[in-house]
Amino acid sequence: MPDLLLLSIAAPLAAALLLLVPAPLAARKFIAGIGFALPALIALYLWSQFPPNGGASYHFVSRYDTGLKDTLGITLYLGLNGIALPLFVLAGVVGLAAGLFAIQSKAERLPLYLGLLLVMQAGLMGVFASMDVFFFYFFHELALIPTFIMVGVWGGRDRGYAAMKLTIYLTLGAMLSLIGLIAIYQQSGAETFDLLSLRQEIEHGSLAASDQKTIFGLLMVGFGILVSLFPFHTWAPLGYGAAPSSAAMLHAGVLKKFGLYGLIQIALPLLPEGVGHWVGWLALLAVGGNVLYIGFVTIAQRDLKQMIGYSSVMHMGYAFLGIAAYNTTGLGGVVLMMVAHGLSVALLFLLSTSIYHRTQTFDMEEMGGLAQKAPVLAAFFVTAIMASIGLPGLANFWGELAIFVGAWKFSAVYTTLAVSGVIISAVYGLRSVARIFFGPVTPAFAKVSTEKAPTDLAWGEKFPALLLLAALLAIGFWPKSLSTPVDTAITATFRK
Amino acid sequence: MFQNPTQLAQLVFLLPLASAAVIALTLRRQGNIAALVSTFTAALIAAGGLYLAFSGARFTASTEWLSLGSFTLSLGLKFDDLSALMLSIVGVIGLCVHVFSLGYMHDDDAKARYFGGLSLFMFAMLGIVFADNLFMMFIFWELVGLGSYVLINHYHFKASAADAAKKAFIVNRVGDFGYLCGILLCYHFYGTVNLTELANHSASGAMPVHNLIPLLLFCGAVGKSAQVPLHVWLPDAMEGPTPVSALIHAATMVAAGIFMLCRIEPLFAIAPQALTIVMWIGAATALYAALCAVTQRDIKKVLAYSTLSQLGYMVAAFGLGSLKVAHGEAGAPEVLLTAGVGAAMFHLTTHAFFKALMFLGSGSVIHGCHHEQDVFKMGGLSKKMPLTFATFTLGVLAIIGFPGLAGFFSKDAILYLAMEKNTAVFALLCLTAVLTAFYMVRMWKLVFLGAPRSEDAAHAHEGGISMTLPLVVLAVLSVIGGYEAIYGGHFNGVLSQIAHPHGSAHTIILGVSLAVMAIGAGTAYVYYQTAAEDTLATKASGVFALLVALQKSFDAAYDYYVAKVQQRFALVLNYIDLIGISGVVVRGSAGVAGLLGLAARALHTGSLHAYVYWFLGGSVLLWFLATR
Repeated sequence: MPDLLLLSIAAPLAAALLLLVPAPLAARKFIAGIGFALPALIALYLWSQFPPNGGASYHFVSRYDTGLKDTLGITLYLGLNGIALPLFVLAGVVGLAAGLFAIQSKAERLPLYLGLLLVMQAGLMGVFASMDVFFFYFFHELALIPTFIMVGVWGGRDRGYAAMKLTIYLTLGAMLSLIGLIAIYQQSGAETFDLLSLRQEIEHGSLAASDQKTIFGLLMVGFGILVSLFPFHTWAPLGYGAAPSSAAMLHAGVLKKFGLYGLIQIALPLLPEGVGHWVGWLALLAVGGNVLYIGFVTIAQRDLKQMIGYSSVMHMGYAFLGIAAYNTTGLGGVVLMMVAHGLSVALLFLLSTSIYHRTQTFDMEEMGGLAQKAPVLAAFFVTAIMASIGLPGLANFWGELAIFVGAWKFSAVYTTLAVSGVIISAVYGLRSVARIFFGPVTPAFAKVSTEKAPTDLAWGEKFPALLLLAALLAIGFWPKSLSTPVDTAITATFRK
Repeated sequence: MFQNPTQLAQLVFLLPLASAAVIALTLRRQGNIAALVSTFTAALIAAGGLYLAFSGARFTASTEWLSLGSFTLSLGLKFDDLSALMLSIVGVIGLCVHVFSLGYMHDDDAKARYFGGLSLFMFAMLGIVFADNLFMMFIFWELVGLGSYVLINHYHFKASAADAAKKAFIVNRVGDFGYLCGILLCYHFYGTVNLTELANHSASGAMPVHNLIPLLLFCGAVGKSAQVPLHVWLPDAMEGPTPVSALIHAATMVAAGIFMLCRIEPLFAIAPQALTIVMWIGAATALYAALCAVTQRDIKKVLAYSTLSQLGYMVAAFGLGSLKVAHGEAGAPEVLLTAGVGAAMFHLTTHAFFKALMFLGSGSVIHGCHHEQDVFKMGGLSKKMPLTFATFTLGVLAIIGFPGLAGFFSKDAILYLAMEKNTAVFALLCLTAVLTAFYMVRMWKLVFLGAPRSEDAAHAHEGGISMTLPLVVLAVLSVIGGYEAIYGGHFNGVLSQIAHPHGSAHTIILGVSLAVMAIGAGTAYVYYQTAAEDTLATKASGVFALLVALQKSFDAAYDYYVAKVQQRFALVLNYIDLIGISGVVVRGSAGVAGLLGLAARALHTGSLHAYVYWFLGGSVLLWFLATR
């Protein structure tokens, strides 16, 4: 059983390599499908096997020497604790949905596209299964590089500029985080990248408070860039606007969470004395920048994908506020929110592509009345928007609520301002729904539909969407399925 | 059959969720089956709910639903007299509306969505009724909003319906923003949001006062119960099918705000200043909406403004607060009654009956007149639709406070309380009562009396049994709903809190009540002609224009804000984001970025193969270096 984690990383990589072998397209699609399905099945199986109250420690642990053990103290050290497990499952589920959606798409050079997605998928599984900081970072890069290529090659409007901007920002963010991680390695004198040993080492006071302060600041900015912390967010709407849908699903849904995950799993536990210095700044940027400022910017968007991209930036503000709160409730809320947001934003990107296939435009001003032609698509999209604006019964609500509860202890003023974001998100969310689906059919849409009569969701689109929707509803109705391991892990890690 | 009433309550609570799920998953194309599933569910809810309420079962139960660190959120049932009364109302009205819908929505294309929406709404509404803590109430508070959104949006191909649904949701979110802040503040200040614990804590006298908590919580009621200044969504919500207006936007969901206030009465009991604000908001809404109702042409809009006004009545009643009364003979010890809760809930109950009756009656009229809603194009329907006429007339008599009918008793309870507590509010509410009688009789006369003023009205016809039966049931309830005896003493926790006038006070209230009704009804009956034009508009155009301007003032202000302030602000920020931050700040300080850009451009040769080789080569190189 321990090797299942390794298999979840190796299977998509192997599938990607097999895709290089010339074979009929159907066979290649089948191989790719297995490459996407295996990690998801493994993730769900491990979730079911995870001890109910065992979130505090790592399970399914395995260690492989890649030849770096003696020189640098690096091993491929895999395992899941209560914080990693939900994200590992998220990566599996969103990966499967994005993969299936890609398989049925009509992308050019499909095998190559699928191969890159599979490499990305392997990286994502690896990020959340790694207990070694080096491999945590390595797998992030493994997932990131295919993203750039996919945006640059299969992207939509402005793909060249978008790919370049994405590369510059994310590479910069990753470099800053790497410097921070290496600084921890250096300054603590631990001579290891192993997360557990690092934690033990630092608990003995091997990292001076002033060092912790500097390193946390470095990581906050580095990871912050990767999670589109204001004002380093401008890559996100542009990048997602241009990215092909499956790449946007995987990046916005899963890979973007790397930064938050790094802050919670690595930076906060290892640098407890550096956090306090920065939380004021973090809350200010998160609430004033991400939630309120970006919230209003989102209202101004006409382009559907840009709107989703900006709304995603806005919701990251809640996550940063939860981190600034730095208590068990707030941090637990962030983990719930990461999973919920990953599912809902992936669903929104998927459905926005389905909308595009029917309207031939992303401009919401030209859309209208699509619900009359595609009622199921409308129902799915309304549910996805409701999830993303935090309606109870869907996963996102629990994360937001817990963040608000936790953050209130930190600052009632910041929390009140953040809560006012629920109005802003209702405004842009419902406005977009009304523009796209409701009211009479617009002339532009009428013209498109006479050329090619729009149909409702096909099974190829419906199945991956249902997968994400079911996950959102399951967590929405039964949050304990997710929150119990998170709770035990967070409570053990942050005893306050 | 059930080991304990808790299980029955859980079943009643979860049935509509199951119904909604079954309809959504399997019955999308089988509208008729969906209608039966949903209606059968409503019947079970009514039966189970009435059994629970009238068997005297009262209990609490709670389950932990989410736990993160020090924060625990529970879902639980709190079934006391207050929720039993509310459950009875929701059950009875819900069933009536479902049965009525079978006829009214018979030819609708999207019947499954409609009935699925009704079931979803019933589930959410029951959640509010049963909720034992504020977090849980908030969850279902939002979900009734979703049900309302889906059902207002039923005719989604109409821009007006789509706009109304959007507006209802967003305006409610404004109220919910305050509500959620109130819950968070309550949780952190008092350490609990459990309703029973808060009540015990308050009763012990050791609870510190915090005026802001009840006021923030009240924001939720201002949104949901459509009080000024967040009332603007309710008249627009009439875009939904008429049975929906009866159930959600008259009898149950909009009354949930008043129910919620009664739930948190212990917080208000120690914060009299907050209570005063609530009272004034309610009184202002009551009068304002009554003035708006006078000029409406659309039969549903008259009823909508009437609902607003009556909700204002209930909120004002709650805000009037408790009353010290001497029970029985003179010299008996004085008792403190939470008379505000008693009067508000009593009026909520009777209003649910007669307003649901009138909305369904208007549905019957609209259905009979081939979807004509303009009262000036109706007329003479008393002969065409005798049963609708008879039941509607009972509804009108009940709301204007005709002696012996339901509204008479509940309105008097409020007026008496106002007389004892605050003369200014008493005067406002009396004026509102005059206006209520005035606009109601105006509408009644225009619809039913005189000669038909359109082809549709001339060929009006009564609907089938599924539409007339609910009217009869609700008409009976509108007649007998004011006699406390019919409740069999099962809701004494609420109804025994009603303050009754004795002696001279009784005479005064009776006199005032009869006078305001007679003045309002008589004036309207004499003044309005059954003509195609509004008599007020032709004879006193200045007054008419003033009232119209008053009615439109809030929407005008909000429209200005949305179009001219919010949208422009958003566009300016968007511009700053595009030009300022991504252009100047980032690129300006981008010495590093520029260099990286050059490097990246060198890599981005545009050839696909180059990318792949770079990528694979890099990976291999990395691995080689790493394992060296």
